[in-house]
Amino acid sequence: MNPVRDGRQVDPEIGSLLGEAAGQIAKNIEAAKTPFEVWKENPSARQQMSDEPSYYNRPLVKEPVWVWSVPLYFYAGGAAGASLALAAAAQLLDGRPNKLIPYCRRIGLAGVTLGSGLLIYDLGRPGRFFNMLRVFRPTSPMNMGSWLLAAAGSLSALAVFEIPGIKRFRNTSAIGAGILGIPLSGYTGVLLANTAIPVWQAASRMLPVLFTASGMASAGALLHFIDLPSREKTIARRFAMTGQTAELIAMFALERQVYKVERINKPLKQGFSGFLWKTARVLGAASLALAFLPTKSRGVKTAAGVCGTAAALTLRFSLLQAGRNSARDPRASFQQQRTNELHPGVQAPLQPVT
Amino acid sequence: MGSKGFFTDTTICIGCKACEVACKQWNQLPDDGLFFTGMSYDNTVALGASTWRHVAFIERPVALPTQDTSTDFSWLFMSDVCKHCKRAGCLEACPTGAIVRTEFDTVFVQPDVCNGCGYCVTACPFGVIDRREDDGRAWKCTLCYDRLKEDMTPACAKVCPTESIVFGDIDELRRRANRRVSDLHAAGLKDAYLYGADAASQPGTEGLNAFFLLVDKPQAYNLPPDPIVPTKKIKESWASLALGRIAMALATAVCVAAGGQR
Repeated sequence: MNPVRDGRQVDPEIGSLLGEAAGQIAKNIEAAKTPFEVWKENPSARQQMSDEPSYYNRPLVKEPVWVWSVPLYFYAGGAAGASLALAAAAQLLDGRPNKLIPYCRRIGLAGVTLGSGLLIYDLGRPGRFFNMLRVFRPTSPMNMGSWLLAAAGSLSALAVFEIPGIKRFRNTSAIGAGILGIPLSGYTGVLLANTAIPVWQAASRMLPVLFTASGMASAGALLHFIDLPSREKTIARRFAMTGQTAELIAMFALERQVYKVERINKPLKQGFSGFLWKTARVLGAASLALAFLPTKSRGVKTAAGVCGTAAALTLRFSLLQAGRNSARDPRASFQQQRTNELHPGVQAPLQPVT
Repeated sequence: MGSKGFFTDTTICIGCKACEVACKQWNQLPDDGLFFTGMSYDNTVALGASTWRHVAFIERPVALPTQDTSTDFSWLFMSDVCKHCKRAGCLEACPTGAIVRTEFDTVFVQPDVCNGCGYCVTACPFGVIDRREDDGRAWKCTLCYDRLKEDMTPACAKVCPTESIVFGDIDELRRRANRRVSDLHAAGLKDAYLYGADAASQPGTEGLNAFFLLVDKPQAYNLPPDPIVPTKKIKESWASLALGRIAMALATAVCVAAGGQR
């Protein structure tokens, strides 16, 4: 029998796999190769004494392993949360027959459903997605978010479908979904802030605000595509413009917060993530300007919706990419995890070797 | 039981990588491919899902005060490992409860619970834990949980030929480490210090169950100067979210009320 080529060199006929990592699946052993470019120059020779040394410039923290579906989820969850909140507000404050409410509830349910799917797609073991609700752990924003998503999802389903027997709870569920919808659109900001990734951690104060505002903008952008009676159209338009303005202000405030620390701001300024960040700003401003035009033209409204949606998506992809780029810079990580410039948290004095 | 951990004294590490090999063999970890990096003798590069011990090789153009060399040169080695933080970022971030604190006060990932969400990967301030793509789950050093249960020494400490890696009760290890630092200071190696030995010197993690004796800045070994568990700072972020929620609720209410009057 051929020994299994899993990089363990254990012939299953002779040895048994009982170690703690024996269950670790390893398929790509043959394909494993140098994970970065080497031998352009001698890396050891470059090591010099400096005030801020690094280990051959290798990253300190690990890059996020999340794929495209996670920023898409941030978008879907954000838009869903904000539109559920708008539906609840319209139901409580407007009180007149209203086409906006069912639309918003449906956007909410669709976003939550689609978002859950996107999150499950990203899992390394998608079959175990239900383990997310195995514990209740307030220290983990991802766990809190899973509970929020599950609760808001169930309530919005009750609000949208006329389920025989519990139909009379429809409006109550919708209000519940609306109350949960607001944190649902913003908790992802806390989720990113609660990491060791320098740029995300540096933006910890503004990220939740940005995600809440951007969720509002995303939901507003979707409402641009829908034909509503004129009074409700005004509500939707105001909602979209408020969200879009808040998003732009929050982006600006986040930049200010991150720019305070040198090196950490790079991913928002340079590279692909910087390009996406700037694109999001331009698209957001364009959407706001188009929504502001006092025209009844269908085309202009659609364009505002397209720009707003594109801005929200670009923003989320830019933040993930910025996190990846930020993790690659060990000195940014060192800078982020330092309390005292002279003495890096040790008791014994650490003198520079002369 | 009590708190168990490692004290890694880098001044007597000879860079033999026996710990890396013993770890791979005992835990039956797959290899990560063979390649040459040119980073001194370090071809392991970093800790990862299938690498739970990593020996770092630091070449410096200065001599250690206690060494007599013909040219200005010193070679530092450090066997890096999961620090089993007293306050662990990975554990606090884990949404499934897959990462637990064991009876030995170590941090353990249960492979039968982990669903591979990848959140712990970004939550570790040391970049230790990682998700293996073809496996789908997150993996890291278990501090040989299976061996501890049988009252055995973890594989890396057992095999270390110079006792650079010492396993034992944390309190005992701390005493031993402090003795070693004063001995080194007396011998003239004034740069020697302990990294992460207790909560007082490293409040961000509240102390490490696997701590180190170093002779250069932490950054030279790819360790953060003052590691901080992300959850320690997260209150301000939740507070921002609360403010954002209130603002959004008000804004939405105003939009609806003002829009309706038209």
